[in-house]
Amino acid sequence: MKILVTLAWRNLWRSKRRTMITIASVFFAVALAINAQSFQKGSYELMIDNMVRYSTGYLQIQDVLYEEEPSMDNSLLMSDSLLISLKPFMKRINYMVPRIQNFALASAEAATRGAMITGIDPAIERRFNNLPDQVVDGSYLNGSDHAVLVAEGLAGLLKVRTGDTLVLIGQGYQGSMAAGKFPVKGILRLRIPELNNNAVYMPLSAAQDFYAAENRLTSLIIMPADPDDADRLTEELGEAVDSNWYVVRSWKYLLQDLLSLMKFDTAGNMVIIYILYLVIAFGIFGTILSMMIERTSEFAMLLSLGMKRGRLAMVCLLESLFISFTGAIAGAVLALPVVAWYHHHPIPLKGELAEMILQYGFEPVLPFSADPQIFVTQAVIVFVMALIIGFYPVYKIFRMKTVERSSR
Amino acid sequence: MNVIRTFGLSKTYNHLVVPVNALVNVNLEIAEGEFTAIVGPSGSGKTTLLNMLGGLDQPTSGQIFIDDTEITGMKESRLIDFRLRNIGFVFQSYNLIPVLTAIEIVSFIMLLQNYPKDKMEKRARELLDQVGLADKADVRPQKLSGGQQQRVAVARALASNPRFVLADEPTANLDTQSAFNLLDIMLRLNREENITLLFSTHDQRVIDRARRVITLVDGSIVEDQHFEK
Ligand SMILES: Nc1ncnc2c1ncn2[C@@H]1O[C@H](COP(=O)(O)OP(=O)(O)OP(=O)(O)O)[C@@H](O)[C@H]1O
Ligand SMILES: [Mg+2]
Repeated sequence: MKILVTLAWRNLWRSKRRTMITIASVFFAVALAINAQSFQKGSYELMIDNMVRYSTGYLQIQDVLYEEEPSMDNSLLMSDSLLISLKPFMKRINYMVPRIQNFALASAEAATRGAMITGIDPAIERRFNNLPDQVVDGSYLNGSDHAVLVAEGLAGLLKVRTGDTLVLIGQGYQGSMAAGKFPVKGILRLRIPELNNNAVYMPLSAAQDFYAAENRLTSLIIMPADPDDADRLTEELGEAVDSNWYVVRSWKYLLQDLLSLMKFDTAGNMVIIYILYLVIAFGIFGTILSMMIERTSEFAMLLSLGMKRGRLAMVCLLESLFISFTGAIAGAVLALPVVAWYHHHPIPLKGELAEMILQYGFEPVLPFSADPQIFVTQAVIVFVMALIIGFYPVYKIFRMKTVERSSR
Repeated sequence: MNVIRTFGLSKTYNHLVVPVNALVNVNLEIAEGEFTAIVGPSGSGKTTLLNMLGGLDQPTSGQIFIDDTEITGMKESRLIDFRLRNIGFVFQSYNLIPVLTAIEIVSFIMLLQNYPKDKMEKRARELLDQVGLADKADVRPQKLSGGQQQRVAVARALASNPRFVLADEPTANLDTQSAFNLLDIMLRLNREENITLLFSTHDQRVIDRARRVITLVDGSIVEDQHFEK
């Protein structure tokens, strides 16, 4: 009925200030919640992205025993049968990153240290994580080089520079002795301090030679064409490969410790957001309450005249609906540029906090997530909350006595 | 013919420390076209009586008939509808919907009654004209004087084409001139349109014009006078 809408609309403008304050509460709740969520989700996305990009990839094929005992003996063979089982999936795979990773002793004239040797395909690694960008001295590797890149921290400890020679000693495939001399072709500056202090990169073929592990890898990282396909691809590949030898792990599995840590952290953050909701809810409730007190006599009069309770309640609901809706939409819309700005211009961190984050191996920046789902979820939550509060007048109207008007 | 009949009407408020007998065994008949004032000291039960007759509250015991319909014990949803179609109200205050204009307020009752839309505006204007407010049709209550507001309330009460109009101290907040003005309008409507009017009042000026004066003391009718005017 049109008159109900008219009544609701005019009532909203009758106490303009109260309406505005209520809309503003909803607005701030939504905008704050969206920013808080974007902020949190953004840093997690960055963390995961860092881990996936620099370390695990979206999914990996490993030898079944590798996880239990990560050694060359449990490396996987790039057999024809493996390649054949991968073939049907090639359309869904963007590219693959073969790696050999194992510890060795690195010595130079001055010192000896433990080092993490990573055999890489230089061209693919460029694509995977922009490794050439980290070269601060000398030059990047070619696939056929018999040379290494040494991380800056380790180079410092060993006192080696570009052009020096590094002697590597380790344990190769099936207990063989691995030893070799490698010229240092360049120095890398790696963001993750732990890696920066022990990483040595060499071309895959050199590494396979070194470890006497021809055609073997410790892991084959697979980058899907569509990251959202990662889970399904993991599952389907897992069924396709020979499960006696190979196992396919997704990043969710490989990073499970990190993920559970994040979940725990998220819970803490949700509590803060819930408190925010609560504060806002009470704010809205306060204005609704004052509105009810102010209008009790009017409501009683309308009921006395013969207006049905349902219709009167409808007027109040329309009012709340308008307030909640406007506030929620305005909050979401106005949060958009803020989130977008911080998404593209992450907040840089300085000082101790930044160092701490660096220790964990992450970039010390705080980007915002631009996930549209955050906007929708937060707007809907606050909208529904405001609407539930809007049911208080409805409840009151249905309980009200017609003679309450005689409140003199 | 009697529009209102009550039998042994009593109302006791029990939720206080001492129960209050607001109405005690009230037997009353109001005939069609009567112009009746209910008078009595403060707390004598005038408002309580009008609330019962208007179906706004239920008596503790006794019966009320409007024409041949008993409204005591009627279910609320039916009662709301019954009020809408049969009873016009003029309250002492909080009469009008603040966000609607005079003509919208008068039309509001007709809207609730599903009165034909095309005839609604014409009738609303006629009613405003009858209470001398034709030129205030598009004005909201807060821009009207107290007397004008009560006249809008009268127009609204008549809009539903009720069997009778109840008014609880309609002139209580008005200055003398406005009170007389309102009273004149009510009297004229009573004479010309044969509207049955029942109102409570403390106001001697109003009492003097009534054709029937019922006096309540402590919830009982102690006097019922008819005057020829
Ligand atoms: N809701 C209520 N709860 C308890 N007692 C009430 C209630 N309403 C009225 N009363 C009591 O019932 C008695 C009659 O009250 P009522 O309001 O009908 O008197 P009145 O004649 O209209 O008085 P006034 O001239 O002051 O308006 C009074 O004693 C009053 O205190
Ligand atoms: Mg009274």
